[in-house]
Amino acid sequence: MADQGDTRGEHRRRRLADGAACYLAGVVTVIALGLAIVATGAFDVSASAPHIRVVGWALRTTMVNSVKARAEPLPLEAPLDPAQVRAGFRIYDRECAPCHGGPGVPRDRWVSGLIPTPPYLIDASRRWTPGELFWIVRHGVKMTAMPAWCVQRSDAELKSVTAFLVALPALTPEAYARLRAAEAAPPAAEAPPPSSC
Amino acid sequence: MLMREALAALAACAWLAGCAGPAREAGALGGDPGRGAMLIVRYGCAGCHEIPGIGAARGEVGPPLDGMGERVFIAGRVPNTPANLSRWVRRAQDVLPGGAMPNIDMGEQDSRDIAAYLHTLR
Amino acid sequence: MPKLSSRLQVPGLGFLAGAVALVSCAPASQAQRQADASVERGRRLVGQFACGSCHQIPGVLGADGTVGPPLRGLARRSAIAGLLDNTPENLTSFIRLPQSVVKGGVMPDMGLTEAEAADAAAYLLSRS
Repeated sequence: MADQGDTRGEHRRRRLADGAACYLAGVVTVIALGLAIVATGAFDVSASAPHIRVVGWALRTTMVNSVKARAEPLPLEAPLDPAQVRAGFRIYDRECAPCHGGPGVPRDRWVSGLIPTPPYLIDASRRWTPGELFWIVRHGVKMTAMPAWCVQRSDAELKSVTAFLVALPALTPEAYARLRAAEAAPPAAEAPPPSSC
Repeated sequence: MLMREALAALAACAWLAGCAGPAREAGALGGDPGRGAMLIVRYGCAGCHEIPGIGAARGEVGPPLDGMGERVFIAGRVPNTPANLSRWVRRAQDVLPGGAMPNIDMGEQDSRDIAAYLHTLR
Repeated sequence: MPKLSSRLQVPGLGFLAGAVALVSCAPASQAQRQADASVERGRRLVGQFACGSCHQIPGVLGADGTVGPPLRGLARRSAIAGLLDNTPENLTSFIRLPQSVVKGGVMPDMGLTEAEAADAAAYLLSRS
């Protein structure tokens, strides 16, 4: 009887040991696979070809969830303050439109060589809250060409850009062109403020 | 001067249109979506458009109208507000001269009701 | 019809199956291959030029824009932008220079070449 108990105990220990070994082998394999991909150049980083679908989906979904988890509500005046919207337009037209276009306004052609591609933002305020838009503009997005604009723009300026984005769905191409014409002269060069990141 | 007023008007409706979509304003114009659905059938919109909630509407001359409650622009030209959509429904030729969509002989209230129905589509 | 002797039935069926496989997997014609390549290039271009940030487009990841109409079933539509007859040539022209069709409209001239616009049109027309 003592022998039988011992055999059962040994049997259990051996099964545990086998399980642990299997688990360890799995972990080592995954790490080795990861290192192999990193070290051998197997992953194609060229931006001239799109991501494979699952990688593209994973990156995009990660970005959306990361922003939603970190953004805080941004109260804007209701209705929007026209002066704030206009200040936002000035920054948007000069610094955002080349990559993001506008109503009737194309992106620069080279922008089509970016992955992920910067979206047109005409309906952006329908899919993101003002707080989320402000977060994206302020902090940028890793592994994209979207900079953290807090590096050279104050919070007040970035809030005005956010207000402009909220106003954008209602802006006709004609009105945008008129705003452009009215702002034709670039402002005098100013020393950029210290980073507000 | 004009620019400031234009921006003020823009900001006023942008807050509604930009944040909440056109549906919130629809009530303000007094459009009845239920009546609108009936009018869509009467005016034969189904002949050219696929329209959710309207059984026979499988037309393929113009674009499908699903999601019209969230569409930002009408015919790629004018922002999709209740006022603009009513005007488009009734007098499309004024907005897009020479286009496939004709002016339709209907009263303003009819066009508001139809626009109100379309703005329920998400 | 005389029945095949049982010894010949299996290889006979095998021969038949092989012949069917060869015929159905026969290499596509040159024209078909070019058409397929154009559609595939078009799908990439539609992604690169961010068409999906204004339009819902089947088969393109993240293409859920609500600025313009959805582009599914484009092949069946009679008109492009409500103004042009829906032909591949007209769709190509429209994609390349939308402002020449809808001046002052929200869709900008995005700088695609003629060939790129043709590929994008081919992709969109291939998705019913």
